[in-house]
Amino acid sequence: MPRNPSIRDRLESEAWNHFPETARRIADRGQRHRQRRALCWEDRILLIVSALLMVALILRVETVHAEEDAFWGIEFSMGEQSLQSVALDTEISAEITGLVARIDVTQRFHNTGSDWAEAVYRFPLPEGAAVDRLRVEAGGRILVGEIREREEAQQEYAKALAEGKVASLVEQQRANQFQTKLANIAAGETIRVSISFLARVEFRDGVFALQIPMTFTPRWMPREGGTGRPHHLVNAEMSNGHFLEMDILLRPGMELSQLESRYHDIDIQPEPDGFRLFLADPDTRSDRVFELNWSPDYGATPESTLMSWDGGDAQYALLLLVPPLAEAIEPQAREVVFVIDTSGSMEGASIEQARLALAQGLTNLGPDDRFNLVEFNSDTRALFDESLPAMPWQLEKAVDFISGLDANGGTNMAPALQLAMALPEQTGLLRQVVFITDGSVGNERELLVQIGEQLGDSRLFTVSIGSAPNDWFMRKAAEVGRGSHTRVGQLDEVAERMAALWTRIENPAVQDICVDWGMDAEFYPEVVPDLYAGEPLWLYARLPREPRDVTVCGELEGRYWETRARLLPGTGGESIATLWARSKVEALEDGRMFGADADLVREQVVDLALAFGLLTRYTSLIAVDRTPVRAASEQIETRDVPNLLPAGSEFVAGFTQTATGWKTQLALSLVSLLVVLAMLLHTPPSDSRARPKTPARAEPAPSTGR
Amino acid sequence: MLGTAILCLAAAAHAAWIPVKAELAQWLIERSWSEVLAGRPAPPPWPWADTRPAAVLEAPALGVRQFVLEGASGRNLAFGPVFGNGTADGRDLIISGHRDTHFRFLESLAKGDRLSIRRESGVGEFEVVDAAVVDSRQVGMLVDPDIDRVRLVTCWPFDSPSTGGPMRYVITALPRGGATRSGG
Repeated sequence: MPRNPSIRDRLESEAWNHFPETARRIADRGQRHRQRRALCWEDRILLIVSALLMVALILRVETVHAEEDAFWGIEFSMGEQSLQSVALDTEISAEITGLVARIDVTQRFHNTGSDWAEAVYRFPLPEGAAVDRLRVEAGGRILVGEIREREEAQQEYAKALAEGKVASLVEQQRANQFQTKLANIAAGETIRVSISFLARVEFRDGVFALQIPMTFTPRWMPREGGTGRPHHLVNAEMSNGHFLEMDILLRPGMELSQLESRYHDIDIQPEPDGFRLFLADPDTRSDRVFELNWSPDYGATPESTLMSWDGGDAQYALLLLVPPLAEAIEPQAREVVFVIDTSGSMEGASIEQARLALAQGLTNLGPDDRFNLVEFNSDTRALFDESLPAMPWQLEKAVDFISGLDANGGTNMAPALQLAMALPEQTGLLRQVVFITDGSVGNERELLVQIGEQLGDSRLFTVSIGSAPNDWFMRKAAEVGRGSHTRVGQLDEVAERMAALWTRIENPAVQDICVDWGMDAEFYPEVVPDLYAGEPLWLYARLPREPRDVTVCGELEGRYWETRARLLPGTGGESIATLWARSKVEALEDGRMFGADADLVREQVVDLALAFGLLTRYTSLIAVDRTPVRAASEQIETRDVPNLLPAGSEFVAGFTQTATGWKTQLALSLVSLLVVLAMLLHTPPSDSRARPKTPARAEPAPSTGR
Repeated sequence: MLGTAILCLAAAAHAAWIPVKAELAQWLIERSWSEVLAGRPAPPPWPWADTRPAAVLEAPALGVRQFVLEGASGRNLAFGPVFGNGTADGRDLIISGHRDTHFRFLESLAKGDRLSIRRESGVGEFEVVDAAVVDSRQVGMLVDPDIDRVRLVTCWPFDSPSTGGPMRYVITALPRGGATRSGG
């Protein structure tokens, strides 16, 4: 990571260029007879040279120091040639209807090499996406994918690869990470792979949102285990592929007051029942999350809503549960523990956002509140031994603490969480832990189990930072921690999002929620989480017959609370059934995390996935062509297609600065010393006699032009 | 003038201190490592250290024996080579060191030379298979969690008077008897 090498190099080379000349002059001095006047001139040169040397020296010491403090990351990036050989563009088309989005992601793999290629690409999908379709276009043929058990699909793919057939395999690697493999791409050929999935539209603080992640934060894996990490990241500027196209059809089903794309410029075209959206910039790269926000027209406050779809053997229903309005509720004093991640992956824009988010959080504290700050990277450090009242002088200490935070080192999350949740109890105050991180960890499951075990009466609020945080983990952590999850993608939205988080922290939530469907229902999530201000809940149910209305009860500030949702007839679609299956898969997998029998879970998930055509950890999508395109005698190469680095991240090259430059510094110092000593020895004892002898000559007045 | 001379002397002393510090640190770390060998968690080598030894790197042919530190920071690099991703865990290891202190010896490593890496989990024997000069502005290092490999990285050229250059010297070593690959 060279820092201003040009300036330093220039200064240095100047110093070195001057050195031989200076040394020669010093040596010649005693032998030559010169006029005093000339000597004075020479002294001046010497002085300039030595000053120059000093500057170079000081700069050098400073630079070495700066480099020692600078962050440097490792891993990631591409193999040397892979980038030129398999370029990749992404097209996204989406249809958003009410609360559900059907999204098609089409990736164009182009083999610019001269050999047959196998491409491997890992990519993220939105939280809770239900992947159910695969389509491959190659050489004028179209292959449609089928769901198979994972091992079976892998065998089929390996066979097709060996036989020279075009084939594509899509697998789930982690909760929100997928991998596409593509066999037998001919030299110069372009293959299009479309993956289609359902995602639910988020609805928080009166704003609807759809997020489509585009790249990954490199993850930190504190311990051995796990495979398939996304380590193939390149800087957007270095890549010649990774262009992005989008075509989104939005049918919001209501009048809108506002519609915006958060991180991309978009063109909006009105349609009869909604809007059509395109990216405005044709050069857009897939290096940041795409997020679309829309708000209902003023006055149209959404209410709890029930939709259903007749699946033949059963009815499938979606219940949107809207929290009570916050105005009627009296805020209470609390204890807030802020935990901030200062590990290496937070370097760059992320740590700035985190600092600002923290500062924003502090301003919300009232004098009756107590607070504490915990910083962690490889080590954990708390500001106070126990939480203290949010008095001005304590807040000042906190501000000092925050401004001293630097991103460096590993992400050792467990001790920080433990420390935050095990701080001495503050009588009568609810402990709320605000956890600010990009979630770049590999041991997610262990951490979630830890949170479940150590939570006690605390609540955990997670704030994801950065352009590609690990949202799955952050959302799960908040779920297990009985709090809520907030996402901050950019510096300028910190204030707004932290304010929204604060309404959840400040206002009591509806707890112990029960749902009466009016009949036997299998619904997910089975344990309904707390209902926070500004944050509706989604419940998916499978029912024997069509529901009419649903009654929801709970406890709000120790009092009974009830609300009712009526069915909106004819609003649901088949997607509700798929999303129900998807949430059941998630519930089953969560069960495994907390100790359910792994084989049994697997069996249940596979049955469900095959019935509903879902891609899961245990089932994959595979498409194989019937006729071979590559003769068995020709060789095939495997290439990893790199992901782009998240925008604003500083993991550029992955090499550290590995020279101290002590020899140069030593040489420079000694040379400077030599020059200075030479001048000390040479300077005449006194100039008083010498000067008057110099012929006094009237110098012309300096021209004002110079 | 005298002040300037003192400044120069101070700078010279600071420069001379760098290699001395590099040596001294390794000696202090030795004590910390002996705790690891005794089966105890390694204490910080000196009270204010923000690192601990995580492995011993040996190149028997050159008589090199160095402690590799945890925590990939410039500060730690002053005391010894460090693990590139900050930890000694995993199978695809990257170790970085300064070219003019600890990793000077990379220049003398040749194909076929043996390296051994002793971690808490055991000793790995490796053989140098490749030495390459790369431009860190153009390429990065692919980390493959499924293969056993060690890469030693330092700045290049070895005798450049300036620091901060983009070129790196990368030694790749694979387990003796060939690389093993597992998983997908």
